[in-house]
Amino acid sequence: MNSILADGSPGKRSSDGERYPALSDRHGWVSYVFIAAGFLALVPILSTHRVTDFMIFCIFALSFDVLYGFMGRLSFGHILYLGTGAYAAGLFIRYVDKNPVAAILLGVAAAVATGMIIGPIVVRTTGACFALINLAFNQVGFFLVLSPLREFTNGEDGLGIHAAQIGFFNTSSPSVMFWFVFACLLAVFYLLRQLTRSPYGLMVRCINENESRVRFLGYNTFFYKWVTFVIASGVAGLAGTLTTLNYKYVNPNVMDVHSNVGVIFACLIGGAGNLYGALLGGVIYMIISNTLPRYIQSWEMFLGISLLLIVFKFRQGVWGYLGDLWSYYQRKREQGKS
Amino acid sequence: MIYTIMYGFTIGAILYFISIGLSLTFGTMRVINFAHTLIYTLGVYFLVTFMAALNGHIVLSGVLAVLCVIPVSYLIERFVIRKLYGQSVDYTFIATFAISLIGVDLIKRIWGVNPYPLSDPIGTYLTFFDFTFPVYRVLIIGIAIVLFFALEWFFRRSIIGKIVAASLDDEDGVRCLGVNVKKYFSIVFVLGSVLAALGGVLYAPISSIQPYMGHSILLLAFAVVIVGGMGNLRGTFVAAFALGMVMSVTARYWSQGAEVMVFIVMGVVLIFKPLDL
Amino acid sequence: MLKIDAINVSYGHAKVLHDVSLEIRQGEMGFIIGRNGAGKTTLLKSIIGLLTPWSGSILFQGQAVVGLSPERLSLAGIRYVGQEKKVFASLTVRENLEIAAYACQEPVEKAIDRITGFYPKMKKFLDTKAGLLSGGQRQILLVGRALVGTPKLLLIDEPTQGLAAIVIEDINDIMSDLKQQVSALIVEQNLAMVNRLADRVFVLKEGKIVSEIDDKSMMSDTRKLEDYV
Repeated sequence: MNSILADGSPGKRSSDGERYPALSDRHGWVSYVFIAAGFLALVPILSTHRVTDFMIFCIFALSFDVLYGFMGRLSFGHILYLGTGAYAAGLFIRYVDKNPVAAILLGVAAAVATGMIIGPIVVRTTGACFALINLAFNQVGFFLVLSPLREFTNGEDGLGIHAAQIGFFNTSSPSVMFWFVFACLLAVFYLLRQLTRSPYGLMVRCINENESRVRFLGYNTFFYKWVTFVIASGVAGLAGTLTTLNYKYVNPNVMDVHSNVGVIFACLIGGAGNLYGALLGGVIYMIISNTLPRYIQSWEMFLGISLLLIVFKFRQGVWGYLGDLWSYYQRKREQGKS
Repeated sequence: MIYTIMYGFTIGAILYFISIGLSLTFGTMRVINFAHTLIYTLGVYFLVTFMAALNGHIVLSGVLAVLCVIPVSYLIERFVIRKLYGQSVDYTFIATFAISLIGVDLIKRIWGVNPYPLSDPIGTYLTFFDFTFPVYRVLIIGIAIVLFFALEWFFRRSIIGKIVAASLDDEDGVRCLGVNVKKYFSIVFVLGSVLAALGGVLYAPISSIQPYMGHSILLLAFAVVIVGGMGNLRGTFVAAFALGMVMSVTARYWSQGAEVMVFIVMGVVLIFKPLDL
Repeated sequence: MLKIDAINVSYGHAKVLHDVSLEIRQGEMGFIIGRNGAGKTTLLKSIIGLLTPWSGSILFQGQAVVGLSPERLSLAGIRYVGQEKKVFASLTVRENLEIAAYACQEPVEKAIDRITGFYPKMKKFLDTKAGLLSGGQRQILLVGRALVGTPKLLLIDEPTQGLAAIVIEDINDIMSDLKQQVSALIVEQNLAMVNRLADRVFVLKEGKIVSEIDDKSMMSDTRKLEDYV
């Protein structure tokens, strides 16, 4: 297994968005402090509610990075799972029980279940097929909540969702929501980081590099891909449930196909494959999408142009760029010593 | 019921025009070109402009519109697809999607957001056993059939067609014989775009013209390519008409479900025939 | 004819060839032998441009060719026949040759005459789809295709792999006939063939050339060769 990842070529720069191995353990808990500090610092600049928004998107971006940066499959319909979680939680609160924790669990379960069912169909494909099949399923889901299930979902107009308070968990309070989402974000980050470093994570990365070889070694690659897909769906579902609770509202736009561009952009600009990039990219994208429409009218064109620029000139994203700067700096230091 | 079938064939024909380019590009370069349906949309808008300039002369406008997409398509192939397809399928996808975003925005700026109405240019009907069919739709179906045979001939007989067929089997092998496959892929790409524009131009009078018309068609065309097999022209022909029929029949009983049904069929096909890249 | 100087080739992060150097002179038939995974296919692919060495040089008739595309190298006179015996399956034998002929601007009849010259049985299969041919026939078609346009250097990867003994004899005969007409660098596991045809043998082990044998007596002793592998 190690020979596939061993670096035998000196002087080879990783340029085309190659996966960076996660920062080594020497950083450990320090990174969590940095992340926490980063988000907390944003609060006085924007409002609490906004930052909560950002964090929810970052959770979604993390789920996408698992699929794209880690497993190497670009999906153009990942928001389906966010929407599934959002609607499952919302409908539960509306029609069954106003307990928000139960709703969150149900939302995640619904997203996981959907991922488990769609997964086997989808993970057999790669590249363009994978991207568009997910898009098609996303479209179907969007259509479902818009039309046939209108009786329950109220179609385009959406539903207002008001959860009850459980103990100190009061969803109507911006600060409670902030801390809850904050905790979720750190927890998700921790779990995913452990996952990507585990033997399972190594296996998935090998599959990404050269699937046939892994299969020839006797491993059931299908299973690993499926599991990864389900994990990504589940985390996206979590982001969905949090969206519903945060906005107290759910409507079909929560799984609008066009919104997929946002998370793709986020992972690209942040840097795919190492989780930190997803966080960074998530914040960057949120800042852009919240401030830009005020100043530029056709901001979709802006998005398109920036995507082109990233693809041609800036594949490694901000995190990758920082990583390159760091290695450059280190090399200079070593040259200086000798 | 017979009208449902006719409608199904008409949609099938249009899907066929659009899917050929997608299937070929998929088969040869293994990329999804999101900008493919931008070309389709552009063709339609060019038609509108030419119609206005040439005082409603639809045939000439149509021909000019289709010809005008050639340079656009060539530029996209030369500067985006060619640079990326060897490297990464994902980036090509994102880049062509970006182009489609930019393109749709430009269309909105130049032509506005409001739908353009165009009417059936022929307007006459055929009567056949008590049923009346608009001639125009019959014409569309006819053109599709002619196109099918033309493409069959092209790929069986001409050297370009053979090179493309060989590349679908073993691209490296073709290169190692000294053939510059990139040039031929370009030709195929532009051909596919021209056909998509043709599809758009033919469909325009019986559909609604608005800047996002490309998006929904892309997914349907993609479903056709999946069901028919990538790079498989005969399969594309059959799949296009089959799915067109699915849409038409579904629309009759459940008007909004037409598109969704196509995706369900696609999903089912994928469960039993999980080939792909 | 061909001079390779200290090339290093990697697949992604994995380094496959380490400072490999070899030389083939005009009219020579060189063989590369070695265990599976030693890097033999990688070596051939690097010469034809399907892979690019990140250091070192390759000179073909005195011209540096690293970084050039397979198409250009093919037209310059290097032909490559891969290990997988892939033909253009959906085209007929004649059409397979047509494509090669088109690229070199040689009349297709000449290509057909050449292949039926060294393998008359091919006449029957000219209009059969290449995908229906047997392994041996495919190999012969591939060699015939590669010879279109009279190339100067042939690179062949395991021509006898997976073929029946009788067919291997046919291939051996064809290779013998070619010996004076064209230079070649052939990867082979079949040491009997190496015995018969080699002017020079290179032993590749774990990405390095560990020995080069041009002593005829050494080469004709199969056991001695086996020691090296």
